[in-house]
Amino acid sequence: MRTLLSFLLLVLASAVAAISTSGNRLLVVLDDVADKANYSKFFADLEEREFKITYETPKSDSLTLFNLGERTYDHVLFLPVRTKGLGPNLTPKTLHDFVNAKGNILLALSANTTTPTSLVALLSELDITLPTDRNSLVVDHFNYDITSATDKHDVLLLPAPKPTRAGIKDFFSEGAGTKLIAFPRGVGAVLGNGQLLNPILRAPRTAYSYNPKEQAEAVNGDDLFAAGQQLSLVSTMQARNNARVTVLGSAEMLQDKWFDTSVTKLDGQPVVQTFNREFAKRVSGWTFQEIGVLKVNWVEHHLEEEGAPNDSNPEMYRVKNNVSYTISLSEFAWDHWIGFNVPENDELQLEFSMLSPFHRLNLKEESHRLAAVHYHTVFTTPDQHGIFNFMVNYKRPFLSHIEEKNTVPVRHMAHNEWPRSYVISGAWPWIAGLGSTVVGFLGFVALWMYSAPVDAGKKVTVKKTQ
Amino acid sequence: MRLTQAILLLAAGAAQAASSWSFDDASISVAAKKGSDAIKEKFSQKAPLTKPVGLGSTDTVKIILTAKEDGKAKRPHQAFVTIKEQETGLEAPFPLTVKDTGKAVVQISQKDLPVQFLLSPKPLKASVVIGSFGEARAVNPPVFDIEIQTDPNTLLPKYEAPIRYGKKPEIHHIFRPDPQSPPKVISLFFALAVAVTVPALFISWLLLGANLNHLTKALGAAPLSHITFFGSIVAMEGVFFMYYTSWNLFQILPVAGVVCIVTVLSGTKALGEVQSRRLAGER
Repeated sequence: MRTLLSFLLLVLASAVAAISTSGNRLLVVLDDVADKANYSKFFADLEEREFKITYETPKSDSLTLFNLGERTYDHVLFLPVRTKGLGPNLTPKTLHDFVNAKGNILLALSANTTTPTSLVALLSELDITLPTDRNSLVVDHFNYDITSATDKHDVLLLPAPKPTRAGIKDFFSEGAGTKLIAFPRGVGAVLGNGQLLNPILRAPRTAYSYNPKEQAEAVNGDDLFAAGQQLSLVSTMQARNNARVTVLGSAEMLQDKWFDTSVTKLDGQPVVQTFNREFAKRVSGWTFQEIGVLKVNWVEHHLEEEGAPNDSNPEMYRVKNNVSYTISLSEFAWDHWIGFNVPENDELQLEFSMLSPFHRLNLKEESHRLAAVHYHTVFTTPDQHGIFNFMVNYKRPFLSHIEEKNTVPVRHMAHNEWPRSYVISGAWPWIAGLGSTVVGFLGFVALWMYSAPVDAGKKVTVKKTQ
Repeated sequence: MRLTQAILLLAAGAAQAASSWSFDDASISVAAKKGSDAIKEKFSQKAPLTKPVGLGSTDTVKIILTAKEDGKAKRPHQAFVTIKEQETGLEAPFPLTVKDTGKAVVQISQKDLPVQFLLSPKPLKASVVIGSFGEARAVNPPVFDIEIQTDPNTLLPKYEAPIRYGKKPEIHHIFRPDPQSPPKVISLFFALAVAVTVPALFISWLLLGANLNHLTKALGAAPLSHITFFGSIVAMEGVFFMYYTSWNLFQILPVAGVVCIVTVLSGTKALGEVQSRRLAGER
């Protein structure tokens, strides 16, 4: 009865919190709680996705990310604030601890306000570099909105971003069509070389970042912070514990006035709808673990030998055994689990490793269930005994990391598992030697016991001489 | 309201079509560090250089141009020479230092370029970007190619691409080769050669006068012990044969023990009989 009740509770709980895989408590940090009216559509979208939003200013005393060592929020959204610091409740260390405790952070910056030191410190720890003057603006004299930024060219218009490499799942440009993303008055960042960092949206080739106060006349020589595609307008960092940090260069793109409005690009179609609402949904959805979250349902391996028992997940294998391995994967898509399909040009790989991989094999899709896809392969264990791991180490940009390790010993051949010596032709002389020794010995015994001397007299003389 | 907006839009479009940025008096010179014999070539927006410009390891490329808005010399906000590597699409911007008169200059040498550029097999593409705020159109025409000439006496810098998450090459374990036997003919020959020693032994014994003449005498004196003694020796060989084919150690040990006891018990009597024959002088 109790188990049934707890099961029902579990089902209910999962039905209620089925929206994000890592909880629905969202903290929004902004200058003035009244400012949220500018972002009403964005917050309405979030609330529709069942987020419980708490609005706080950095000065508020009740603002705390941890209570008794536990996170009080699952996600934090920072909107631009005019203060230089964020106060004692949001130090870089607290934010760092928040990420380490699997909390997600969405950071919206703006060129109109300086970025608080605490956020700059957090970003520099993640190897995301903001312009040092903290007052920079990204402009592009080729791709701007000619209706709203005729003179200043600071509203960038960009097509929805396609994956930068082959084999990366496309989360952000699907269904965009000809719609453009408006990026008004934003800040560009430069990403380090780490593999955990990935840009979602990169600046166009002719864009550059400058300081409107100091470089109002022209950008000269060494003063250039970055230009072109090295400027990342929307950047992400997915930590090893799958916590996500996203830096959105322009908070203004989340405002109501840029949602579903129309813009005009130089030489483009006269009027184009903005993609901002959908893009904001996807970026926030990705950051708050609503998309791109993978899970392993189960792993199964067994002996694939004729006539041998094929129990699931046996405790041990022998060298040169044929082994079958199957892994079931699911992906979270906004509010439910679906089967995970490996993107095109990418492979899910199984490593059979002891210190270093002996086999690295591409897993093939075996069957597709309602909410899971099973990947499968069969291989022969190496001719080396030891403690091996079945290792699926699937880490890809924008997907949560999978590191599935199953340890299994591989024993050497037992003495009675080798081929018998009579099967080995090289052993025949030795077997013949054994047989002739046996026959010779028996003949000798018989002879020694029952042979009569040929010449009795001779024998006697021998005896006498002794 | 909307109408006025539309008119404004049209007007803006018309104005934009009218004015645009350009550059003039553009030249590129390549100067070696020591000598001053610079190669100087002129190019313009519409006529890019057809021949690639060679850039040696100690050379410096100097680009001079005058930026103009609608034919009038003016200082633009953005005046970059953008150099692009064709294989990877990597680009590096080099901002020109612009004076109020629109005169702009930049110097580029090999050490300013990213490492990937120096290793590029194809010439680098350079274009000039000139743009500024306001309605005048920005331009981005390709102007020349750069061919990197590396010094054969110095080592090329090494470039290692940063690690990115992605699929890795497959690995298939290479198994050790199976143990091999010599040709069967050779094995058979030597097996037969070994087997032939048995008849050879027996025949040589016979030639030396071996016989079984005392068998009847022995059996008559102690029939049971002789039969069991010889039989137990044969049985012991049988036990070893079973050990070779199917039994394990724990199966043969009790059987071998029983056979041994039988051998000892019957052997004392049988060998006593043999001794009696010897003492009788019959052997």
